[in-house]
Amino acid sequence: MADDQKGPVAAGFSLLWRRQGVLWWVFVVNLLCGALGAGPATIRTAHALSHSLAGQKLTNGFDLGMFIELLRLPKVDLWRYTTSSYIFAFLFFLFMILVTGGILESYRQDRRLTTGDFFAASGAFFWRFVRLMLLSIIPFAIVGMIYQGLSKLADHIGDRAIADQVGIFLGWGAMLIFLLLALWVRLWFDIAQVRAVVQNERGMWRNLWKSWRITWHDSRHLFRIYFCISLVAWVTLVIGLVLWTHLPPTSLPLSFVLLELIVLAQLMTRLWQLASATTWYQRHAEVFAVETVVVEVVETTPSPAPDLPAADLGPELPPADA
Amino acid sequence: MKRLFVAWFSAVVLLLPIAAAAKSPFAPEVKGPLSQRVVAYQIDAKYDPPTHTVTATETLTYHNLTGQALDTFPFHLYLNAFQPKATWIHEAHRDGNFRTSSLANWKPEDYGANDVSSFEVVGMGDLTKQMKFVSPDDGNPDDKTVFQVKLPRPVAPGQDVVFKIKFKATFPEVIARTGYKRTFLLAGQWFPKVGVFWHGQWNCHQFHALTEFFADFGTFDVKVTLPKDYIIGATGVQISDQDNGNGTKTVAFHAEDVHDFAWTADPNFKVINDTFDGSVGQVKIRLLSYDSHERQWQPYITCVRDSMKRFDDWYGPYPYAQITVVDPPHGAGEAGGMEYPTFITGDSGWYIPKGVHLIDLVTEHEFGHQYWYGMVATNEFENAWMDEGINSYTEVKVLDSFYGADASILNWMGAQLGEREYQRFSYLSDPDIDPLYRHSYQDMSMGEYGAISYGKTATMLITLEKIVGEQTMRNAMHTYFMRYRFTHPTQEDFMKTINEVSGQDLSWYWNQAMFGTQVLDYEVLRADSNPVNWFDENLKEKKGETEYETQVILHRKGDFVFPVEAVVKFDNGDTTYERWDGKDRWVRYVYRKKAQVESVQIDPDYQVTLDSDYLNNSRTTESHHAAVHKIATYWIFVTQFLAQMLSWLA
Repeated sequence: MADDQKGPVAAGFSLLWRRQGVLWWVFVVNLLCGALGAGPATIRTAHALSHSLAGQKLTNGFDLGMFIELLRLPKVDLWRYTTSSYIFAFLFFLFMILVTGGILESYRQDRRLTTGDFFAASGAFFWRFVRLMLLSIIPFAIVGMIYQGLSKLADHIGDRAIADQVGIFLGWGAMLIFLLLALWVRLWFDIAQVRAVVQNERGMWRNLWKSWRITWHDSRHLFRIYFCISLVAWVTLVIGLVLWTHLPPTSLPLSFVLLELIVLAQLMTRLWQLASATTWYQRHAEVFAVETVVVEVVETTPSPAPDLPAADLGPELPPADA
Repeated sequence: MKRLFVAWFSAVVLLLPIAAAAKSPFAPEVKGPLSQRVVAYQIDAKYDPPTHTVTATETLTYHNLTGQALDTFPFHLYLNAFQPKATWIHEAHRDGNFRTSSLANWKPEDYGANDVSSFEVVGMGDLTKQMKFVSPDDGNPDDKTVFQVKLPRPVAPGQDVVFKIKFKATFPEVIARTGYKRTFLLAGQWFPKVGVFWHGQWNCHQFHALTEFFADFGTFDVKVTLPKDYIIGATGVQISDQDNGNGTKTVAFHAEDVHDFAWTADPNFKVINDTFDGSVGQVKIRLLSYDSHERQWQPYITCVRDSMKRFDDWYGPYPYAQITVVDPPHGAGEAGGMEYPTFITGDSGWYIPKGVHLIDLVTEHEFGHQYWYGMVATNEFENAWMDEGINSYTEVKVLDSFYGADASILNWMGAQLGEREYQRFSYLSDPDIDPLYRHSYQDMSMGEYGAISYGKTATMLITLEKIVGEQTMRNAMHTYFMRYRFTHPTQEDFMKTINEVSGQDLSWYWNQAMFGTQVLDYEVLRADSNPVNWFDENLKEKKGETEYETQVILHRKGDFVFPVEAVVKFDNGDTTYERWDGKDRWVRYVYRKKAQVESVQIDPDYQVTLDSDYLNNSRTTESHHAAVHKIATYWIFVTQFLAQMLSWLA
């Protein structure tokens, strides 16, 4: 089946699969960040445990007491080395801002870009995406405040209820609403990123406004795409962790592979969302091109055509049944 | 007709005490009295749920068994601790928080109070105006948790004095083991309680944030009137339940050979009954919980029954007819994890994953207090380690027997944690600030109190097993319990009993662990083998043929002196056991054999839990990386996961 006959989720996955080199690149950088972030703690642990039998308590099971010993003792003090993990996690975040332009360009063209082309695209959109990321703080903060409010309300109602479940379930409900709202904000900003690449848009305020209208207009369809892919991410995470808890404590290579697969699945679903958003947008960009011609005709015609889209929806808006 | 009524009334009045007596507070094979009964409380209380107040009349008969005339009597009014200028609040605020409670949002409606409106001494008249608040510990003039009354004439040795007190108790929202939450009430420390005449003087401390209580044994007859839809549980056994016909009921309880009385009430309670067949007869287990905690009912009952079995087997019988277990509602955490005689509160929730032994941890601990506090009634103000610490030690033993030493608290998602490790970390959080012998209410802070009273005592007693042996320690604890139950033993009584049963003079140990703040840390400083003929230029080392000189150095890093056992393993399979008295700063062991040293390990069974650093207790000549790789794998994963989560915002 050709991609244009598939739904955006399936077509997005096909695109992700064809351009899987991008995913492997991102995964390798993520692994590198993980390894470098864990490096100081590993060196410190090796110094403390390599010539001590105390480590046996960690290999034949995972004795939390011995791990706490490593965190607690000043000569090891593993807590201190969490900083390097935070630093490398942040570097990966910056890396993703940098390469998102290249990734989207690669998805837009649906071909393997040369390294030069890839980073040229990445560089071209870097500052625009930094601006978008900074602007995204506003809606994410609003969503965070909504969550705080809902959470307090859940606590308030739960505190007055006899059964524990009332407060717990309301709290979970608040968390679910938070996640869905955050997903919607992510979707909006992803459409903005895709639109910036496809239209080579430079004004990010304007881009955000137009992306908002696009996302809002077809939000049910777009949100379903994002929600389905997120569901895949959450389910694979849970299955992966459950499988991990059932591994024998001494099977370290297997444990490593499984944990890496979990991370890979999370990165994959994220790029799948971007690929699906690109596919969706490109299909509707073609509709937009046709609509533009129609609009031009309308402007020169004395009476408007009866089957035109509503004027206040803007020229770029896709039809509702798209 | 009138005569018939008089006869019927007389019969009822005469039979009532018999009916009450038929409901013995003891297990079938126990005949009281078990203690020297100094006090007899009769309290008639009325609970008003909307205002969370109790109005009551208390008749206290005090038997002067002190051997001397007494003309001054001090009383505790514990609920007055929950006033802004009280010593308790001052101390709790100084240390940030109290248990789970934050004082940051403490409001006037959360204040608690004990108001005495009338204080009369039978035969001496109304002495309400003689009541005088005193602050024996810190001189705080605003603390009203202790008052004393000087009688017009002394009470002679052997004589009784009867106090009649009218009071009102206003409960705060749950804090410090007492109070309300929604319709739930835990009434603890709610009535005026006389001090203890101990070692020739009154012992009646103010209520402190760090410490708990101390009182004399006696009997309690308590009637509580409350709305009739309420379900009530209390210390002792219920002897009557009378519908008053006005929407209220009066429930009467009787308890003997106990030193405190607490009760709880809530219309939403569910009652779950079970029994335990102990060595002195059947004991009723009465659990008061909630529908929403249904999953936890069986774990509670199982834990109480299994704990009773261990204590019965190891330390001595539980002589009472009943144990009431309260599972507080959500949001009432401050009411959880508390002990009163024959009455404990646990801690649970709607869902607790299998493998997280929270219910056992709390319930076993509180049941253990029936022995170490309830029956062996030590002074909790001054020697908290004797109830909390000894109880934490037996908690380790009991939970270890339930789930194994390495997973007695947690065995979930591949991770394990043992109770002894938990206690050890508690101790090592503040190992060298306060000695155990210091009066507990004078400890530096809440954290230090917890580290020393609970963690250090448990850790010290586990380590003591290394010296006297596990079975001897159990025998000593049994002797201590049987000898001092229903009395108020001192620290010296405990040490003396351990010395006696073990047949050892353990002063050297008590001096460091009890009276000192020394920290124990031994390490393997060096372990290496070199060819004896190292100077031979043609030497070709060959396993099993070349002779090596092996040198092992053990080092005392800490200032706590303790005998050390070490295991030295060689690459030909030989194993050598060394024992060092640990007194000098270091010791060297030298071996000549056709084998090289493989590893040296101090305390291979991890029994010396006082040791502050387990990592330096062993040394291997070859490096082992399995544990390092495991930690690295997990650490990399967590970093990667964090990174990909953060990148979601990009």
